[in-house]
Amino acid sequence: MSKPCVTLTINDQVVEAPVGINLIEAAKLIGVEIPHFCYHPELCIAGNCRMCVVEVAMPRKGLNDSLVLEWSPKLTIACNTAVVEGMAVRTHTPRVIEARRGVMEFLLINHPLDCPICDQAGECRLQELAMDYGRANSRFVEQKEKKPKKTPLGPKIILDDERCILCSRCVRFMRDVAGQDCLGFVDRGSHSCLTCYPGREPATNYDLNIVDLCPVGALTSVDFRFKQRVWFLKQTRSICPHCAMGCNIVISSREDVVYRQTPRDNPEVNGRWMCDAGRLNYRFINDPRRLKTPMARTSDAKAVGWSEISELVAGRLQSIRESGMGQIAFVGSASATTEELFLFRQLASTLDVALMDVVPRAGQADSLLVKADRHANTRGAQLTGVAATPPGSVMAAIAEGIRVGRIRALVVMGEDVATAGIGRDLLAKLDCLVVLDLLPSSTTEAAHYILPGASFAEKTGTFINASGHIQCIQPAVASPGSARPEWQTLASLLAHLNGPVYGSVDKVFEVMTRALAPLAGFTVENIGTTGVRLNVE
Amino acid sequence: MELEQRMDVLIRHYPADHRRAAVLWLLHLLQDQYGFLGSDQVEWTAAKLGIPEINVWELIRFYPMFSETPRGRFHIKVCRSVSCEQCGCGRIFNQLESLLNVPPGTVTADGLFSYSSIECLAVCGSGPVMMINDELYENLATGDVERILAKIRETGELEPPVLAPVPPAHPAEHRILLSAMSVPGYTGSIDDYVAAGGYTTLPKALGMPPEEIVNEVASSKLRGRGGAGFPTGMKWKFVDGKSGNPVYLICNADESEPGTFKDRQLIYRDPHLLVEGIVMSCYAIGAHTAYIYIRGEFVAGAKILERAIGEARTRNMVGTNILGTGFDCEIFIHRGAGAYICGEETGLIESLEGKRAYPRIKPPFPAVKGLFNCPTVVNNVETLCTIPFIIRNGSEWFKSLGTLNSFGTRIFSVSGAVKRPGYYEVEMGKLTLRQLIEDVCGGTRSGRPVKAVIPGGSSMPMLPPDKLDAALDFDSILAAGSLGGSGGVIVLDESDDIVERALGIARFYAHESCGQCTPCREGTLWMEKILHRLHTGQGRPGDVDLLTDVANNIDGMTICALGEAAAWPIKAFLRHCRPDFERAAAGGRS
Repeated sequence: MSKPCVTLTINDQVVEAPVGINLIEAAKLIGVEIPHFCYHPELCIAGNCRMCVVEVAMPRKGLNDSLVLEWSPKLTIACNTAVVEGMAVRTHTPRVIEARRGVMEFLLINHPLDCPICDQAGECRLQELAMDYGRANSRFVEQKEKKPKKTPLGPKIILDDERCILCSRCVRFMRDVAGQDCLGFVDRGSHSCLTCYPGREPATNYDLNIVDLCPVGALTSVDFRFKQRVWFLKQTRSICPHCAMGCNIVISSREDVVYRQTPRDNPEVNGRWMCDAGRLNYRFINDPRRLKTPMARTSDAKAVGWSEISELVAGRLQSIRESGMGQIAFVGSASATTEELFLFRQLASTLDVALMDVVPRAGQADSLLVKADRHANTRGAQLTGVAATPPGSVMAAIAEGIRVGRIRALVVMGEDVATAGIGRDLLAKLDCLVVLDLLPSSTTEAAHYILPGASFAEKTGTFINASGHIQCIQPAVASPGSARPEWQTLASLLAHLNGPVYGSVDKVFEVMTRALAPLAGFTVENIGTTGVRLNVE
Repeated sequence: MELEQRMDVLIRHYPADHRRAAVLWLLHLLQDQYGFLGSDQVEWTAAKLGIPEINVWELIRFYPMFSETPRGRFHIKVCRSVSCEQCGCGRIFNQLESLLNVPPGTVTADGLFSYSSIECLAVCGSGPVMMINDELYENLATGDVERILAKIRETGELEPPVLAPVPPAHPAEHRILLSAMSVPGYTGSIDDYVAAGGYTTLPKALGMPPEEIVNEVASSKLRGRGGAGFPTGMKWKFVDGKSGNPVYLICNADESEPGTFKDRQLIYRDPHLLVEGIVMSCYAIGAHTAYIYIRGEFVAGAKILERAIGEARTRNMVGTNILGTGFDCEIFIHRGAGAYICGEETGLIESLEGKRAYPRIKPPFPAVKGLFNCPTVVNNVETLCTIPFIIRNGSEWFKSLGTLNSFGTRIFSVSGAVKRPGYYEVEMGKLTLRQLIEDVCGGTRSGRPVKAVIPGGSSMPMLPPDKLDAALDFDSILAAGSLGGSGGVIVLDESDDIVERALGIARFYAHESCGQCTPCREGTLWMEKILHRLHTGQGRPGDVDLLTDVANNIDGMTICALGEAAAWPIKAFLRHCRPDFERAAAGGRS
């Protein structure tokens, strides 16, 4: 708030606005929306849609040095006008509204008006602003311009040029943000068409952001198109678990099926974008192979109830603990919630587990959002002490312990350890393998006890991203069958081992904030929907 | 490879980090070589300049001079803009259609010919006109087309076009810019120019402090001759000389406003006057590089200027250490490729940078952030040709010519329904429109009364006959209800179909709209479509009001002045000739 401000009036209301912002942003400060299509706060100014016109008056020295307002004879585009001390702006005068009605009419004369079959319907700026500025009947009796339809822009996007309003948001995003200058316009005037050069389609990990940016239905996602009408979708604020960035997202779901994920604005974390890999990484949630029932296997697999299996697992681990120290190892997931990791660590302590770690997963980082660390919560795993230092450094010792027969029991949460140094031959040597997971794997195949877990879209909890920002996830859909959040399973095991009792994940969080110094004083409320930075380096 | 070496030379005309600016040059050369620009040419050019293919392809599809498919060995373009329409360009086009027996845009079976219409070629006083490849044929009479085509079929060669001599000055004229070229036998060579007193002012200018030249031009009150009439000295004073970036001068030689054909004469007939004007203007504003953005269709003009710059270089009037003063100045030719919008100064700058000519939103203005993000002055050809005379004779002399707010002379290009169309240099304010039309141009060809006069190029509102006593200066034309614009005077008489003329003008702006901003992109084509209906007897009740609304919704709402340029003429036609449109709206039945 130390930014220098100027004072102006918008619709006769005095506004204090930071120097440098434009009139669209200044109007937002007092809850006035100036309609626009081409303007986007994260992109350079194009000024081409002409929807954001307003009346502007600049202060000029008049008689006796008094300031008088001089109203500009022409309407001014708000997107390209920075706030000036003493200026006056009128955003909804009859003249402005008439001008916007003119622009709307122009935008619609060659538009196909195919809202009933358009995916954008329900979240279309053109449709929304047509409600405010459109005419009830068309004065255009000519043939509409024909343009290419259903053009693939790479494997992820379909372009409909007839719906395109040539705002150039996608062109600017691909060139200036995604770093692939691949979109452009061909032809002129009313015949202008958005396109890419054949064979040079968008091919970055950020392409799908242009589908979000497109204010109309010109760019649609191959993954999502024709799947659902957007007004049927429930929106849940969450965090992408794809890497340590923790991009803020909205999960769109209906009747316990996730249909898409889109980025959610958080200037502290991801800005307004997310990567395509993260965005499309939701299919596993609806995977029919999801583990649905707890299983206990002695000679053959058997489905059992939760209370029965908790008792079985707790009893088995307890007896191995009692038969000697150092016979149990734990492998957790750095993509689990902090709450789960906290309970995982408590369970390990209760059983005097000495060897515990996570399986690091590294990929290629990029300069925009994607982190090399492909876990959502490595920081959480470190904070709770589940991860070794450095993460993964204890995995070899665990494998060795199993190989020499010292370690007889292994508890695995959310990792396929069979592909992470503890192969099937080693797993076969264990007397007790307990696995909490979502999908079948080599590890679950070898498990004596399978405890089906919940995906990030099915539970509450927190992730701490690479820069120490703690953020909340919320359940969007129900888990399949009797699968349940891992914290619940871990809490019930702890209860059976006479550990602390947790009735809710909020309770886990509360206890955790008292136990872990960097979380001291935090509440679910102050983490809110966009998270807070922890006091860690 | 010789072609590539030529390209490398051209690429060096632009700063090393702006190689992309050479793209139009490369595409011209490749099209000359291969006859068209297909994917091979796109990809080669993109690789050569280090830019994505889309940045090349989007230009080929923006500039009409480029073709993605082969054209005939002889590609014929017939001008269809308003003055040529009045002279019967439609006849020429129909004649081509029947002689070649293929539809426009296709190639004859022998591969020899293809043809298309084209918007204004800036020779409005000698219509109908056509270009075949790089050659221009004016004043086409019956039989000309047939003869020219027969000659090609027979010999495989073009007959050399006839360049009409500069007509002697009418007594009402006061020739200054046109004076040297008016001497019979004047070739425009450096020797002729020097013999006529040329390049005598340059040493004087280079001996003055630059600010003094700027002040002299400012006190002369010279107003830009391109169209907006902005004071040149003031424009020069806006240049941000402290930015630490180089300053550029761009000569706007993209003459393409229908009705305007004055710059063409200066370029073709007295190129050194322009060169001298550019060098001293560069010196004044602190620029060491000037680009002449010349419209692509002025093929010969570009060659003439190239030669003139070369001659001036051999005499040390251009290049390094000019006349031993230590002042360096390079002038480069930059060819456009057929887009009217490149006449808009920021569209021109984008085009020069190698992009689609989308005008920029202002501010910032070019004087602060122009070419390559550097301070830039864009001046019209005629404006720059006036500078040597102001420096030679002083601002007081200049202000002794013309009238208040409109000093000096101006070259009016007159076209349309008059007996003697042409370019006339007159003192501003000394003649009325009526005197220009009746005395200088001999009245209407048909002998019928004048119905409308467009005083400043097709974008300006028409004036009705009762305003013909307005004097030819900025203020008087303004008071009469129009604007001086480019000085292109188009005369319409009672035999003109106003709806057809309005349609022709609307079609021009719809064709030339760059498509960047909504009102112009959608509104110009809509106006054309409505006018087309009106013209072809498919008018509907309410069309006149609708057309007025559409024009009003464009006016004042666009990024650049093309919106007004499209809306104003239509609004004025509707205001002054409403009954013509009402009749058409009633389907011609009333």
